[in-house]
Amino acid sequence: MVKKGDMFYAWTSDAELAKRAECGGAVTTLLKYALENNIVDAVLAVRKGADLYDAVPTIITDPKELDQTAGSLHCGTMLLSKLVKNYLGGANNFRLAMTVKGCDAMGLYELAKRQQVNLDNVLMIGVNCGGSVSPVTARKMIADKFEVDPDTVHKEEIDKGQFIIEYEGGHKGISIDDLEEEGYGRRPNCRRCKMKIPRQADLACGNWGVIGDKAGKATFVEVCSEKGANLLKAAVDAGVLKTEAPNPKGIVIRGKVEGAMFKLADKWRKRDFEALGDGRERLAKIVTETSRCIKCYACIEQCPICYCVECSTKKPYLVEPGTLPVPFMFHLIRFAHIADSCVNCGQCEENCPMEIPNSLFMHAQQCELEQMFGHVPGVDMELPLLALVEEKDERARLAATGSDQIFDIFK
Amino acid sequence: MSKPSVPSLKYVQTTCPYCGVGCTLNLVVQDGKVTGVQPYRRSPINEGKLCPKGMTCHEFVHSPDRLTKPLIKKDGKFVEASWDEALDLVAKKFKETSDRHGPKSLGFQVSCRTPNEECYIMQKLARVAFQTNNVDNCARICHGPSVAGLSLSFGSGAATNPFEDVLNSDLILMWGSNAVEAHPLAGRRVAQAKKKGTPIIVIDPRYSPTARLADDWVRFNPSTHIALANSMMYWIIKEGLHDKEFIEKRTKGFDDLKKMVEKYADAESIHGVPLEKVKDIARKYATAKNAVIIYCLGITELTTGTDNVRSMGNLSMLTGNIGREGVGVNPLRGQNNVQGACDMGAYPNVYSGYQKCEVPEIRKKMEELWGMEAGSLPDWYGSTLTEQINECGDPIKAMYIFALNPVVSYPDSNHVMRQLDKLDFLVVQDIFWTETCEHADVVLPGCSFAEKDGTFTSGERRINRVRKAVDPPGDAKEDWEIFVLLAEKLGLKGFDFKSPEEIWDDLRRVTPSMAGCSYARLEKPESLHWPCPTEDHPGTPILHREKFAAADGLGTFFGLEYRPPAEVADAEYPFTLMTGRLIFHYHTRTQTDRSKILHYEVPEGYVQINTEDAKRLKIADGERIKLRSRRGESLPLARVTDDVAPGVLYMAMHFPNGANMLTNTALDPLSKMPELKHCAVSVEKIEGGN
Repeated sequence: MVKKGDMFYAWTSDAELAKRAECGGAVTTLLKYALENNIVDAVLAVRKGADLYDAVPTIITDPKELDQTAGSLHCGTMLLSKLVKNYLGGANNFRLAMTVKGCDAMGLYELAKRQQVNLDNVLMIGVNCGGSVSPVTARKMIADKFEVDPDTVHKEEIDKGQFIIEYEGGHKGISIDDLEEEGYGRRPNCRRCKMKIPRQADLACGNWGVIGDKAGKATFVEVCSEKGANLLKAAVDAGVLKTEAPNPKGIVIRGKVEGAMFKLADKWRKRDFEALGDGRERLAKIVTETSRCIKCYACIEQCPICYCVECSTKKPYLVEPGTLPVPFMFHLIRFAHIADSCVNCGQCEENCPMEIPNSLFMHAQQCELEQMFGHVPGVDMELPLLALVEEKDERARLAATGSDQIFDIFK
Repeated sequence: MSKPSVPSLKYVQTTCPYCGVGCTLNLVVQDGKVTGVQPYRRSPINEGKLCPKGMTCHEFVHSPDRLTKPLIKKDGKFVEASWDEALDLVAKKFKETSDRHGPKSLGFQVSCRTPNEECYIMQKLARVAFQTNNVDNCARICHGPSVAGLSLSFGSGAATNPFEDVLNSDLILMWGSNAVEAHPLAGRRVAQAKKKGTPIIVIDPRYSPTARLADDWVRFNPSTHIALANSMMYWIIKEGLHDKEFIEKRTKGFDDLKKMVEKYADAESIHGVPLEKVKDIARKYATAKNAVIIYCLGITELTTGTDNVRSMGNLSMLTGNIGREGVGVNPLRGQNNVQGACDMGAYPNVYSGYQKCEVPEIRKKMEELWGMEAGSLPDWYGSTLTEQINECGDPIKAMYIFALNPVVSYPDSNHVMRQLDKLDFLVVQDIFWTETCEHADVVLPGCSFAEKDGTFTSGERRINRVRKAVDPPGDAKEDWEIFVLLAEKLGLKGFDFKSPEEIWDDLRRVTPSMAGCSYARLEKPESLHWPCPTEDHPGTPILHREKFAAADGLGTFFGLEYRPPAEVADAEYPFTLMTGRLIFHYHTRTQTDRSKILHYEVPEGYVQINTEDAKRLKIADGERIKLRSRRGESLPLARVTDDVAPGVLYMAMHFPNGANMLTNTALDPLSKMPELKHCAVSVEKIEGGN
């Protein structure tokens, strides 16, 4: 009997896959098993594109093709959850398995609350994530700090506080802390992130805590839901996945790794948020930074909270169209609509062509709202502070009042 | 239970079809349709970031307005035709015209939005089939003066340093460039530099979104660049801030310059910038360790365009700011392939790679490589883009316009329409019905960037791959294929290409500076910057490192006199009209206006007018007003603002019945650039305007 909360070391019984995959190939095996046995209709995962620094999302329906998604790509900085809404019909009409980082999982929950993704149809295989590095930054960092030609690197990972590369002729590791002090390393939002083991997924997998003879050859799997338990049990029963109880010391180590990551995240939060200042000073900073906005709408397009068909930023009486600098109301609308549910996925910042630290502004607000009201976005189906509405009905109701402003949301 | 259908999801990595920055992006393809744009973060150019146009560049691809069948005008009406019928007619008419009236009776015009392979094959067809040099591209009306001016100054008519290199600069001088709007992802590099603390000087008559990034915004009188640059150089020399060693070792002509600028110690009466400010920016530019000049159409689109460009060259050489990281002179190229269209030899005096038609050895080489009879290629300088328009009827009788919309984008629209109607035969090849199609005899349906393979060469000389994502609509054909079929009809040899890659390889065969750029090497996201002469050459991101590209290896100073624009404000037309571009639109909007959000942002043209002028003329913000020039009139909405100085107006060029109803066709004598950025107009309040 497998149940929520159980933990295992798991590895594949497929010798070929074990060679190619990392950490015993448990994730690929679980996805393959789910696809082969009609538990899901498709898998959304990432595969290597042009090189190690290029992660490309891909939909797989043929189990044979799953092998190409094996292994991790720490330069894969995209958010998969919004793709499910934008391109896959919110998984309403088919069953989908996905490998999810913390931000992917949080984004899926927020979209599900807004009825943009059907979580009943989504099987989430969570993977631990210590943070991701933007591809161009990674290549520069490897060239400048590691003094290695990035084209010769065949493996990169973040382990024991170091960014480690393996390349033709050796391997090298440098402390993430040192790299980040110099402006390299993980994306700013990743540095502040505290969703390192995504327990809101169905299974949470990773290499943290795998020690002893299984080190590097098995994956640490924590069962996080009944769905996850069933999948794991079925895969084990079918003989495609092998498991054993984790080394108790390994469990402690896994907790310590997570704890260390939290501490590092707290350090970055303190530093980033304090630098923002508060009150008028903070407002002035936000106004100055956002004044560079060129209205590409990428922050809205990529945000896992945004879902409205009729976006308020496109109402001419709220934001005058066709002008640069963009009226500040554009950004105020985003703050008002998103801040209580921001999952700090970083997309609004990473995709911003004018280097506006959007994610920092939003995350800072979310953290304060969380302190005030106790609502934690992205971890479960609890609704945010302001009641969510059916967009069409609410717009009709507001139109009937002769006003577009929400005066009484608690009626 | 039947298996539910799972949507497909394929990313096709390609290059943005809009400005010359050349951002990489992913087209999302689902069940044979492009359904979106997603970031391509591995791109060294834009790291996944895009501007409003790039974000929406998929929206026009499946528009129901796409041209899907060849059309032939019969009895004044366009009727659908087969490719056979249409191309037979084109071949016959061009052949007849050429036979009867000779090579100067034909005109070929190529758009800078089309891939290199298509620019190359079109100019090859014009030259091989009809022995004409009457082939030009629309760089003529954006950066023609850059090609001419930088060639004269440095020996190579292209940007010297990559966009990202401004992060190595200690000072950025932007002159006549509104990069934030016109080249947003190059603008991003400037914003990044600003965040690092790099000082930014923007010289622009208008307080543009780019000027807002500046530490020093310098407003000067429109089109007085040479006076201002000469004055700056006078003070640099006077205060001994020039780089004597660089001037001595790497340049010639310094004495000409020195003598000339002595007349410009104080030229405030011309350019309007207080003398102390001139000295201040001159000192800042000259004393920065590494200073870069970024310029754009504010410099080029004038009858002094080539001299303005050479003034930028003068400034950079005077201070030794050329040939290493963090320096240089960088024109921001307007369209996605404006660099490439020129590189491909879609130009009336050069073949691909700027190999000159006037040089007998080069003609001989091209004749051999193209399998032509000895002595058949012409040596004369062909007609340029707007000269061809002027020559419609005499001597030009038949014209082939590929993906251009001259009725909206060339100066003096009324003149363009009158001239096109004088042709015996006009072919327009495009993806949408444009204002220019109305004047055609045959309209051929081509393909969008999403429907073909090829390459665009960006403003930093980087050759970026364009990849086919979906099939063309209806009977539309990939444009290179149309030229292959036409060549077949004309019985030409050397045109049996099966793919764009084969055309590219033909180009490499005849073009030493690009011979090393195989498609296989261009697969890498970093791609290659030409010159890249051999397969093992790493490419050349920075030009003129050890010596200049000129034959003698030296850079050349030119003493240049300020000349006023061809038409200046007077009593009858008291306002100066400047033109430019908006971030939300691309050229004549055939593509961008089919994006819902871009149309929403700016559905029609407007004119910026100073608050004092508006008050005096009782014009309110948003009111429709009448602008008149000697050539035509336009009825834009007024945007009342202090971004423009009193007496100055600013209009974007994208809209029909807009700026180009008013603009002047006067040409820069060296580059044949029309004076699109400066003309005299009157402003009238109209009944019911508000």
